[in-house]
Amino acid sequence: MAYVATRGGERAIEQAERLYREALGPITPERVAELRLALPLLVDRVMGEASLYDPDLAALALAQAGGDLYEAVLLLRAWRTTQPRLTIAEPVRQAEILTHRRISAAFKDIPGGQILGPTLDYAHRILATEVMEGETFTPAPVTPAATPAPARQPSLADWQRANGLVADPPRSEVAPDDIPDVTREPLLFPASRAHSLQSLARADTGGLLALGYSAMRGYGNAHPTVNELRLGEAEVMVRHPSGALFSAGRVRVSQAEVTSKGKSGLLDLGFCATFGWNEVKVIAGATLDLNASGAAKGSPVEEEFVLYHTEPVEASGFCIHFKLPHYVTFQSSLDALRGAKTAEKDEVPA
Amino acid sequence: MTLSTLTRPWAAISWGFLDASAKREMRRKMIKAIAVPGCQMPYASREVPMARGWGTGGLQVTLTLLRTDSVVKVIDQGADDSVNAASIRRFLSRVSAAAETWDTLEATLIQSRHRVPEERLREDQVLVLQVPNPEPLRPVQPNMSIARQMHADADYGRLWLVLYEQMVRSGRIMQGAAYPALVNGRHVMTPSPIPRWDVPKLHMARHLTFLSAGREKRLYAVPPFTRVEPLVFSDVPYKVEDHADLVCHRSGLRGVFMNEIPQDGGGSAFEASDSHLGIKAIRRAEGAATTIGPMWYEEGRFRP
Repeated sequence: MAYVATRGGERAIEQAERLYREALGPITPERVAELRLALPLLVDRVMGEASLYDPDLAALALAQAGGDLYEAVLLLRAWRTTQPRLTIAEPVRQAEILTHRRISAAFKDIPGGQILGPTLDYAHRILATEVMEGETFTPAPVTPAATPAPARQPSLADWQRANGLVADPPRSEVAPDDIPDVTREPLLFPASRAHSLQSLARADTGGLLALGYSAMRGYGNAHPTVNELRLGEAEVMVRHPSGALFSAGRVRVSQAEVTSKGKSGLLDLGFCATFGWNEVKVIAGATLDLNASGAAKGSPVEEEFVLYHTEPVEASGFCIHFKLPHYVTFQSSLDALRGAKTAEKDEVPA
Repeated sequence: MTLSTLTRPWAAISWGFLDASAKREMRRKMIKAIAVPGCQMPYASREVPMARGWGTGGLQVTLTLLRTDSVVKVIDQGADDSVNAASIRRFLSRVSAAAETWDTLEATLIQSRHRVPEERLREDQVLVLQVPNPEPLRPVQPNMSIARQMHADADYGRLWLVLYEQMVRSGRIMQGAAYPALVNGRHVMTPSPIPRWDVPKLHMARHLTFLSAGREKRLYAVPPFTRVEPLVFSDVPYKVEDHADLVCHRSGLRGVFMNEIPQDGGGSAFEASDSHLGIKAIRRAEGAATTIGPMWYEEGRFRP
């Protein structure tokens, strides 16, 4: 069958996949464990974008994808979406987060104190080339503080609210089961607050940075001040069928609140939180949230523009789909093009 | 009574991949889509084990429609063994008991990217078209929330304007594939990037067509015997691609949509885009017993 012989797609795709996997080599539990240990911030980033908190599965996804972040996020999301939702955890309140790091750029000192926590912010970024010469880079031991920082820290916005500096919007009490879930419903605009914050939490880090940075450079209307940046661990409190609340474990979370002077004479706040520790993402996300209100349709900081274009699985998938054959559409355009050319010739005889 | 008697044994994935709650949402949205032909229904659009933009919308509809006695055909640009079609078909049979086929006549469920088969579809067949961009208004209004309002108002003036401007600038309508069409006299839809050649096949058809965009989270439908009218001016007839007189250099088929294959030294050869129809024509020429069903086009003319 001459027609078939020139094709043979099924065999080709199988061998192409084998070629890719062969280059990665066998994936062992040891490799996954080592990845989880060695790359906690990458694991955090993938868990945040996948909306699935499971460092082992995230490390497995990274191993399987050979470190391709978009592939890893897709693997986790496709797994996550098939899992049943057993229960909805209690909301995490800021003042209850076990805080490792919490800083504010708005004040020199804040109630609860500036807690630097683990950071490379003030480190000199020098590549430890001695490792390549056979030496081990051993980090210097930490000297514990004389008085440890309190594990829980108040929210700075609470202080600002008490001092009449920020608006205190009326709070609507929504039963946890009734909170809209963007993974089970389409995202429509104007979006509910829950959908906006959920979309920011699972947005592409690089995408939020690009758009957030454009807002910071002047394409937005509000210049952010970091009101509070916090890295911590949150207890996942769920209710047992017997009625008792218990902690099902802890998840690493990061959150940023940025602020600027609003039109009403009060401070406006922008907020973003995500699974895992990812400071760039939450600062950029909070900046975009701050800029969203009142932004013109189609501007790079308007909510619909931001949220549709920073969806990592959708954006990366569509980008790579252009590799698929498009010869039918192309043929159709070609036909119109030639038709127009012929018509032109007919009109102006040589 | 123990827990295990109340549940089914654990399985890594559900039958047909999607879990029951995802399928329930799909069914509801698909029924709504049938009820309001051509109207885009937003849906959650779960992630599936394929990249967005690679047929995930069509896949979710197909997975929801799958039954144990389904016979599925998957084509990409008309070809059954195109790499992505092969991958989707393999996935479908992997997660269900569905049988695979290349033959349009045997299929009960056809998932397609950018083509409608050349053999007529019957009332017992469902066509699922993969849709990259479900919004016909996108070229004139990239904002989805505003476009949704325009559909509600049947505000399609700017689409007509685009077509008119093409006439003025180029002397003809330049829209290639994805020609916008009015469905049931109410909603303008994009038929997905099928060639203009294929749009009449949806008009008053016997089969049901679903169009689903996974990345954009919208699905819509053309139920059987529903009007699908391409937007045209009353004095400028709708023009399909000029393929009526081309001959397939492999199968000898004529009067079907063709792929153009550039040849060394200039010039082009043509081959039937509906690859399995081509195979059947070759088999028939070789004397094998082969059934070619009734066609939408006869001698290059669409037969209503």
